[in-house]
Amino acid sequence: MANLANSCAIVGIARAVGLKGDKEKKTPLQLVVQACSQLMREMRIGRTKIGALFTGRMPRSYMTLQYSQSLVNELKIAPMFSTEVTSHGGGALGTLQLSVLALNAGLIEYALCITGEASPIWIDMIGGSANWEADLQFEAPYGPTTPALYAQSACRYMHEYGITAEQMARVAVENRKWALHHPYAAMRRKGPITIDDVLKSPMIASPLRLLDCAPWFPGGIASAALITREEVARDICREPVYIAGFGQHNTHEWVGERMGTWGVEPFMDGPSMVRTGARVAAKQAYAMAGVTAKDIDIVETSVPFTYANLLMLEELGFCGEGEGGRFVESGGIDFEDGLPFNTTGGYLSFGQSGQGLYLLKEIVDQMWRHPEGHPVPNVTRGLVHGHGGPLACHSVMILSKEPTC
Amino acid sequence: MSETSNISVPDWSGGKKVQAGDQFLGLYQPSPETVGFWEGVKRRELLFKWCGECARAYHPRRMICPQCSSTELTWKPASGKGTVYSYSEVHRAPSPEFQKEAPYNVGLIETAEGVHFFCRICAESGARVEVGTPARLDFRVLGSGYLLPVFVIGSEAAK
Repeated sequence: MANLANSCAIVGIARAVGLKGDKEKKTPLQLVVQACSQLMREMRIGRTKIGALFTGRMPRSYMTLQYSQSLVNELKIAPMFSTEVTSHGGGALGTLQLSVLALNAGLIEYALCITGEASPIWIDMIGGSANWEADLQFEAPYGPTTPALYAQSACRYMHEYGITAEQMARVAVENRKWALHHPYAAMRRKGPITIDDVLKSPMIASPLRLLDCAPWFPGGIASAALITREEVARDICREPVYIAGFGQHNTHEWVGERMGTWGVEPFMDGPSMVRTGARVAAKQAYAMAGVTAKDIDIVETSVPFTYANLLMLEELGFCGEGEGGRFVESGGIDFEDGLPFNTTGGYLSFGQSGQGLYLLKEIVDQMWRHPEGHPVPNVTRGLVHGHGGPLACHSVMILSKEPTC
Repeated sequence: MSETSNISVPDWSGGKKVQAGDQFLGLYQPSPETVGFWEGVKRRELLFKWCGECARAYHPRRMICPQCSSTELTWKPASGKGTVYSYSEVHRAPSPEFQKEAPYNVGLIETAEGVHFFCRICAESGARVEVGTPARLDFRVLGSGYLLPVFVIGSEAAK
């Protein structure tokens, strides 16, 4: 295998935000174009230089059958590659992964990676969302919601490992502390919360209560990143952020199929509602980068429920199997002195929608010392996890200020 | 609502039309391969796909056996016995029709055939749903308006 570690770097990253209450409602297309044009202008990258436009999946609030071409059309670029990279939300980081491959092959000079969504501005998000997470034929007729689908794994996680509601609540409490410092976090004005607040919040789909669930981000976000080979990156960027390692793993579709999946990693020994492809993707990423979880200064995950954050801490190697609850309970992700974890407030307090590459941007911003929210000192290596389909599709990327090997 | 007079089941044989306003864009998930399953439901039978070669049951819609690649899968009636593998009690339902039934349980039943079957779990006479609770097959018309295979727990189910 080609040595991909540290071979490419992020040289620029931009975002555009539109809020629900804004006088002029922004579409994802408008936000993406705004972010991309700003990025290309700042980086002085002409339209002919973009060899690949990779976007995350077509937004629900801007559906068109050739979405990436709509972006190509607006930007008037003519890339060699133009496509959606989509394994549910897991595709967002896949845009960078495919860019690294094309850049290493010498086929292109620059890749533009994009995500954008603005559903909460345009769509009533209560209700219909389960239709994107459930099999319409065999699951939706029973009346599940998105939380009820994720709750199946929560139920088994608690049953198999003794995870408690208090341990789950601690994630919401710590994530909220970061959100209070972030100008765009959905819950920034709601004040701090306690474990008791979470445990007393209304039941949504047992065992998940209101504060165990991510709120919708009250608007839309587009993010755009410019990627190039490391030698070019050093020429045009004072502080390129190296793509040290990455991995991706996709296992099944629909929660009802999860237990029908075996004989492939991570289900070689049989199916599981708990273990996920995140552990496989993380292993690939660490191996490529030549680092371990101990070398990571900051972590952003993309799971929209408290328990799944505990689980991801396990899967991504920050604690042992079944120890996510105890790790967090003993201060593992404390705002004050724990591992900086979901530093925008995370899905739970920043809100969910169009985050995609926004999580990646948070790590880059922290490395460049101008985060939108609370600064994390001395960030040298970060890990970002993208995920989609109830725990079905996982991408991991390790970013570094210096080449790791 | 009488269950016997209403034997409407989901029909995905021709897929669902995806529309943009008046414009027809394409078909969502036409599933002629699942017609047999829904015909079974009309007869109040739960059918799993069965690979005779591997003696293994699958659900839903397996076209080939992932173990031996056989394409000779047949429909075989399930025993209707199982236990609760996972569950969630839904308090905030996805639509007003379902909200009328809330709170209700959806979850996975580990059937005697080894299939983990996602369905509504109906509790009889105040029975509590827990992991490992015995459950038996039944058919109910749910908020969706369709007759569907469900699993029931309670004193009757344990027998």
